[in-house]
Amino acid sequence: MLNCKQLQFNYPKSRPILKSVDLNFGSGNIYGLFGKNGEGKSTLMKLVCGLLTPEFGYCTLFGESTHARSVQTLKDLFFIPEDFELPALPIYTFEKINSVFYPNFSREHFYTLIEEFRLYRKQDISKLSFGQKKKVLIAFGLATNTPLLLLDEPTNGLDIPSKSQFRKILASSINEDKCIIISTHQVRDLHSLIDHMVILDNAQVIFNQSLSTVSDALWFGRPSKENESEVLFSESTFGGRVILNREFQEESEVDLELLFNGVLSNPEKINSILKN
Amino acid sequence: MAKEFDISRIVQFIKRDVTLLKGSIVTGLLVSSILLFLFCLFNMAWDKKLSADEFFGCFSLCYFPLGVLYTYAICREFQNPKLNHTYLSLPVSTQERITAKWLNAYLLYTLGFSLLAITVGMFAMIVGTIIFRADFTITSLFSTNYWNVVFLYFFVQPIFLVGALSFTKNRIGKTLLVLGVLFIGFLIFNFICFGLLNHDFGIFSGESTGSLAFDKASKDFSLFGRWFYGLIFGPLMLLVAYYKIKEKEV
Repeated sequence: MLNCKQLQFNYPKSRPILKSVDLNFGSGNIYGLFGKNGEGKSTLMKLVCGLLTPEFGYCTLFGESTHARSVQTLKDLFFIPEDFELPALPIYTFEKINSVFYPNFSREHFYTLIEEFRLYRKQDISKLSFGQKKKVLIAFGLATNTPLLLLDEPTNGLDIPSKSQFRKILASSINEDKCIIISTHQVRDLHSLIDHMVILDNAQVIFNQSLSTVSDALWFGRPSKENESEVLFSESTFGGRVILNREFQEESEVDLELLFNGVLSNPEKINSILKN
Repeated sequence: MAKEFDISRIVQFIKRDVTLLKGSIVTGLLVSSILLFLFCLFNMAWDKKLSADEFFGCFSLCYFPLGVLYTYAICREFQNPKLNHTYLSLPVSTQERITAKWLNAYLLYTLGFSLLAITVGMFAMIVGTIIFRADFTITSLFSTNYWNVVFLYFFVQPIFLVGALSFTKNRIGKTLLVLGVLFIGFLIFNFICFGLLNHDFGIFSGESTGSLAFDKASKDFSLFGRWFYGLIFGPLMLLVAYYKIKEKEV
């Protein structure tokens, strides 16, 4: 569906943000795009949308370059940026003036989501908090029913109940025709939501695996005394939880934060186990 | 495959801009109506009549500044880093965007403001006949003065459209500054060309030949000048605006 080939980018007078990044995103998945601050997650999203021009390489959506910003490509994607402003209009006017551009937009779905987020259609957007504005944009993005939905730090500004509500809504929105890419540095917020993990570090993709592959090959939990020597990664702050080579152990739930830290500390070791 | 140029999408895009700027449009039109009304009234107080010349003088005093402000207002989303992500990722092609901006900021604005100005002008005349016992003359919308003003705006508006799309802060000031620098540049260039080509005729000897030539040059454009400034310059600026939109990054 979405292919990025040899993507290279740097802002003027800055170090390279992305160095020859190759990525493929398929439909029916929710991808988590992780990385430390300033590692190029937002930049990658903007490149995917055609809002930035790569130094080298390209991104294609259904075979068409996204950089051209053609009407068809823009109809197939919706981007929710991290920092944004919405016009001072009632929610229903905002919907009315923007939804006409998206042929698969579902008004019913939009207003259902608005109600779920405890907002109402006549509310003036200018009087909403940033978190509430984010909910309006998330609801709008989901209601567009575009095959590709990109969310940059979507949980920033959301309170704790809203974060779990967001996870629930997003999980129910995915279908076989859709691909959702969520970029965040708050790994815990996407717990039990994503099914594929991409980690960016030092301007490169250092990890790109489905969580089913991860849970097949790795084990997360507290080690017994016999397998303490086989620990791949551990952190005392995680209550003694470690990553182990799964081998004959029972399948465990993937601990995203532990995996993220483990990959950052030693990507080669974890990648080599997953390849085998 | 979606069409890259769709009239219905252009109409929707114009509607979107108008809805977003509804408050500013109403305020702008109200303020300019009051100003226009007062200008017309002051004119009638002086000579007890409002000629077409006088009316369109007042008209252009409001029409130009308000039009420039409107042009900048419809490009606000384009330059605002917190708004332009969603704006630029709307499924509207660059051709449609530039067409919508131009139709909105030139054609619709001219039509709307002209109708409003004529109404205000008529009202001012009625008030003038009552207060100052001025003559009541129906101003013609199709007078040469009106078309001159509208044609001049056709040439000026795309320059400000390019300015609105090029600068992020102090946009009007920076556009005027660039225009001023360009004007001075053209002046110096023309002066040098004029001096080089006509030096042998003794134009700098203190006689009046030089100033006569300058006077003539300011009023009488060559055929190339007429074509360039009258027909090509406006669309050329629209082409520049098109590429500004096409190459815009966030």
